[in-house]
Amino acid sequence: MAVEEFEPRIVAFMCNWCTYAGADNAGVARLESPANILPIRVMCSGRISPELVLRTFREGADGVLVMGCHLGDCHYSSGNHRTIKRIPLLKSLLGFAGINPERLQLEWVSAAEGPRFTQVTKAFVERVRTLGPLSEEVAA
Amino acid sequence: MNEQPVPSIIEAIRQTVAERLQELDGVVGLRRSSEGVAPHVFQQGDDLSELEIVPRYPLTTVVSRLHKSFPEIRLGIVARGCDERAFVEMAKRNQIDPDRLFILGIACTAEEAEECHCAAPFPKHLVVGKPVAPGSPNPVVAEYDNTPLAKRNAFWRRQFAKCIKCYGCRNICPECFCEDCAMEDPAWVEPGLLAPPFPVFHLIRAMHMASRCVACRQCDLTCPAHIPLTVLYDLMRRDMEATLGYIPGEDIKAPPPLSVTLNEAPLLVNTGHMD
Repeated sequence: MAVEEFEPRIVAFMCNWCTYAGADNAGVARLESPANILPIRVMCSGRISPELVLRTFREGADGVLVMGCHLGDCHYSSGNHRTIKRIPLLKSLLGFAGINPERLQLEWVSAAEGPRFTQVTKAFVERVRTLGPLSEEVAA
Repeated sequence: MNEQPVPSIIEAIRQTVAERLQELDGVVGLRRSSEGVAPHVFQQGDDLSELEIVPRYPLTTVVSRLHKSFPEIRLGIVARGCDERAFVEMAKRNQIDPDRLFILGIACTAEEAEECHCAAPFPKHLVVGKPVAPGSPNPVVAEYDNTPLAKRNAFWRRQFAKCIKCYGCRNICPECFCEDCAMEDPAWVEPGLLAPPFPVFHLIRAMHMASRCVACRQCDLTCPAHIPLTVLYDLMRRDMEATLGYIPGEDIKAPPPLSVTLNEAPLLVNTGHMD
């Protein structure tokens, strides 16, 4: 029986001011990004609540990428200060509950970093591919 | 849990309450009536022989309601170590007014400290009783780092499968005061599922408890399904202390680190995102 290769489903929350423009930059430069990424534009990475990430996993995402402006570049000056504290804590919690914390990742991508956007998304998709489907990890 | 306090302690706290009632508008404590023990605002002239200190019961939400309804009222509160820490966290979040609250602290017994694995079984404003040594740390938490992911997952799925979604953990919690609870919001937790969906329901609560949980163990004691919730919350407390140097209830001047900028509450570890 042929085994279909597992294609991870990744939800990427991108901040409107940096990463979303960075993704545009990658597209304009004709850089290839993996099609596994479902982009969701938000106004700030600081609005990504733990509830939102957990519900995204609940809805079947195999991995969640949170992307925003580098420290000091936040459009709202300190929105990403919340993100940088919250996401590592949430990763710890996932680990405590037995979900591989590598399924959640935080990355800063600026509006000028098209190549970095491609590189980060590719690396994350490959990482989650090796982890396998989340449904196998949390099967009831 | 049901053991009676040493008579001298209960007598001494009744005496203290009687004295403080001379100048305070009321003292919040537990009162025994024919129907059981319940929260009560003792006022001058009340029969203080009805004042009890067991079973433990958190009174922060009672005080919060009183402070909001009566903006001038000055209250005393019979409080253990965990109660005092809970008031500190509630004060930071503007749920009580620390200038109108006076802690009448009682120390827990060594047995109580051990039962709760309590690291600080007495309040800073100690009035009655002698401080006892901390209880031993929770053995499950101590061994947790050596537990593989799959085993952790199996453990919690088994535990959470028992949940009857009674919200007892939230309702008893001295730190839960939101008028709209994320655990009841259909945007985050789809309604009608029993046991509640994993990972949303319990992990939302664990995340919300991260900078608040004062390790009072009330949720563990209340849970009708005996889910050891404080194992998860203790791990989060440990993480908070390691990454942000924050111990809930320790210092009334320390801002809740998740709600402020890096300048006000810096990260102590490099998570690789500092550039």
